[in-house]
Amino acid sequence: MRDDANISWDSLKRDRIERIQAAIPLVKMGKEVDASNAVALLETVIKPYDKVNIEGDNQKQADFLAKSLCEVDVEKIHDLHMVQSSISLGSHLDLFEKGIAKKIDFSFSGPQADRLARMIDQGTIELGDIHTYLELYARYFIDLTPRVALVAAYQADRNGNLYTGFNTEDTPVVIESVKFKQGIVVAQVNEIVDQLPRVDIPADWVDFVIEAPNPFYVEPLFTRDPALITDAQVLRAMMAIKGIYAEYGVQRINHGIGFDTAAIELLLPTYGEELGLKGKICSYFALNPHPSLIPAIESGWVKSIHCFGGEVGMENYIRNRPDIFFTGPDDSLRSNRAYAQMAGHYALDMFIGGTLQIDKYGNSSTATAERITGFGGAPNMGCDAKGRRHSSEAWLKCGQEYGMREQLTGDMPRGKRLVVQLQETFREKLAPGFVDRLDAWKLADKAGLDIPPVMIYGDDLTHIVTEEGIAYLHKCASLDERMAAIRAVAGYTEVGLSADEAETQALREKGIVKTPEDLGIDITKANRNMLAAKNVRELVKWSKGLYEPPARYRNW
Amino acid sequence: MMSWKELQNTSFYESPARERAIGLVDEGTFKELIAPIDKFTSPHLPVLGEAVCFDDGVVTGVGKIGTRPVFVISQEGRFIGGAVGEVGGAKISGLFQVALQLYDKIVDKYPNDYESRIPAVVFSFETGGVRLHESNAGLLAHAEIMEWIQKCRNKVPVISLVGSKVGCFGGMGFVCVATDLVIMSELGRIGLTGPEVIEEVMGKKEFDSTDRALIYRTTGGKHKYIMRDCAFLVDDSIEAFRNQIEEVLKMPYSEIASYRSIGSLELVEEQLSLVGLSTELHPKDSKDVWRYFGNENADQIQDLYYEDFMNSVKIRPRGGR
Repeated sequence: MRDDANISWDSLKRDRIERIQAAIPLVKMGKEVDASNAVALLETVIKPYDKVNIEGDNQKQADFLAKSLCEVDVEKIHDLHMVQSSISLGSHLDLFEKGIAKKIDFSFSGPQADRLARMIDQGTIELGDIHTYLELYARYFIDLTPRVALVAAYQADRNGNLYTGFNTEDTPVVIESVKFKQGIVVAQVNEIVDQLPRVDIPADWVDFVIEAPNPFYVEPLFTRDPALITDAQVLRAMMAIKGIYAEYGVQRINHGIGFDTAAIELLLPTYGEELGLKGKICSYFALNPHPSLIPAIESGWVKSIHCFGGEVGMENYIRNRPDIFFTGPDDSLRSNRAYAQMAGHYALDMFIGGTLQIDKYGNSSTATAERITGFGGAPNMGCDAKGRRHSSEAWLKCGQEYGMREQLTGDMPRGKRLVVQLQETFREKLAPGFVDRLDAWKLADKAGLDIPPVMIYGDDLTHIVTEEGIAYLHKCASLDERMAAIRAVAGYTEVGLSADEAETQALREKGIVKTPEDLGIDITKANRNMLAAKNVRELVKWSKGLYEPPARYRNW
Repeated sequence: MMSWKELQNTSFYESPARERAIGLVDEGTFKELIAPIDKFTSPHLPVLGEAVCFDDGVVTGVGKIGTRPVFVISQEGRFIGGAVGEVGGAKISGLFQVALQLYDKIVDKYPNDYESRIPAVVFSFETGGVRLHESNAGLLAHAEIMEWIQKCRNKVPVISLVGSKVGCFGGMGFVCVATDLVIMSELGRIGLTGPEVIEEVMGKKEFDSTDRALIYRTTGGKHKYIMRDCAFLVDDSIEAFRNQIEEVLKMPYSEIASYRSIGSLELVEEQLSLVGLSTELHPKDSKDVWRYFGNENADQIQDLYYEDFMNSVKIRPRGGR
């Protein structure tokens, strides 16, 4: 029996109240704190060893709060444990160099991948775990709940209501975990206004609001200029549409970001139309608002898109297409990464994307020995969702064809998600797309990771599309057969050169490997003239002037 | 390879050098000189461990437009950015030489009736200038080409086309505007120092090379047209360029020469007066200059489609300002 007299059940709550009271002198009006007091506020509400989240999403960044945290007195605040989805800014890592933070748990670190690897190597950063987005959000509610969250929004009112609008992204899930576990939420906003267009986060859930000196930074990550799509990408896209989308009647999809998938999007109104596939494929997406999808949307292919985040330049277009996108009462996009990832994990029939390396077993990774990039959200979509119980045409057909199903579950029918990798046999600078052993092993060794960072595991991968052909890996009855199918489409790489002609021929007869000729695709037709838009300006034209691309894409 | 008819409607911007060359002259008339099959390749690149190209990055040949022999030079941006090396440079010089020889022969043979028969040189630029791997030879080639252009004066019209992916930069920027006239599409770009180099040397504040809209405002076809650095602005198709060449070839030589940017005291004074204007006007952006020359819609100009632009644009008056 515990001695009730000596037990407190509300220490977190009392601690929160103490911290907030200590910060009251810094508050100007309502919940507003001047930007000049930002550092003082953080020194007041954050304590050493706290778990702290800086909102660093895939796109928007609480950059002013990140910079302010770098300026706190290290005597007052040190050894923080950062938990954040993205390490995007230099300031995110400066914290560790200054001794303000010590440990990190995260998902994605694309732009800072080199420096992160070096700092882990030097012992400046203690690495917790590298997660997918959904995993990290899950752990916010289990054992990685931040004590303090530093978030970003477009606007706030003086009561602390937040408008996160177009780039809502991670804000709701972060605040949900922090606020309801007696934590503290500080928001930087671009401006404080009297009336918000809509309320995304209610004032109750926000403790302090700071009008940042500059608007938060957002990177246009999902714009692919059609002018850079190659003929080889057009060919792979045609093969994917005919050999996979049409073959399985794939309706619910996520497209990884890349030129291969942009090519597919731009072929729907041309090649897709020619094959009579409108309405039969590509109706529903969990997807960022890719500008390259505009021609397909305008041609009536797409019924619905739920977005992880926004995309610079697409604001006005989305505002005018509310039947397609999820928008608020103010008509602007409501993105939400946690829900989109959930949708991506459970409600999709197919994930299709590109990668850096595929090994001879079909495992793939974007890791190199010198960079720790993390995962982001792809693995939650590039996998078979084992908890899935609802059925769909594509899912069921893929499961029926699954060559190892009987060995695993006997005669019990079960579907399977299509997980497709589009791969050029040789990538930029002649780097082979197929390798004997992934560079991820070297990275695991160097950074002391428990396991090599694999984006998509071989047993989840169902199809590989290269310019040589499509390998229908899930049809294979053994790992040996699977490896032979990979070799058959791996071209002149080390892996491909070990292919046996007779073996490849046998796989073609079984329908496990299909070349462009097997698919009835005329290679001479596979060129850029097939694209519904050949450059960004044509996308603007398709959008009827509603898409407003950022200056870096305005090639005219 | 596309048929000649298909080529006509193809984007000039996207077309490789050979397709441009074939499509710019009359159907079935193009004959390539020093073709890939002759394998004249750079002697310098293998020393550096670099791949060679059987045409060394430039297509040279001759075809016809109506009654006129038209010598075509077409640079290939996909091979080392269309940069000019020793072999490619010699092919270009050689083509000018052949054009002049033919001119002399024709004048000789038809002393009273040669105007409708004289050859022209059409130069489709897609280049960053000197090929740094063979810089001395490349620079020398630039000088030689300049000299050939001067030798052609008052004999063989030399027409520049700029509308390809790489644009026309470096030393070739000089060469391009030293010809009789320049035809561009709005996607064409002419400049000396490339945007990335300006940014590297002068800083991002001076010139942000990731700002493509800024690059087009500064070096693109619309700006060059307003400034009279290009004589004709055409749509982005091989056919549009070809039609414009055809129109130019119908002009008397004196009219063609009236589009020159350099080569007389008058033209030097015109250029100097523009330098004077820039010191008075202190333009922060091309839009300030467009406005100065009477384009009230300077903010919209970049987004105007071709027809709307041509119908509304006001260009710099002759003589300077």
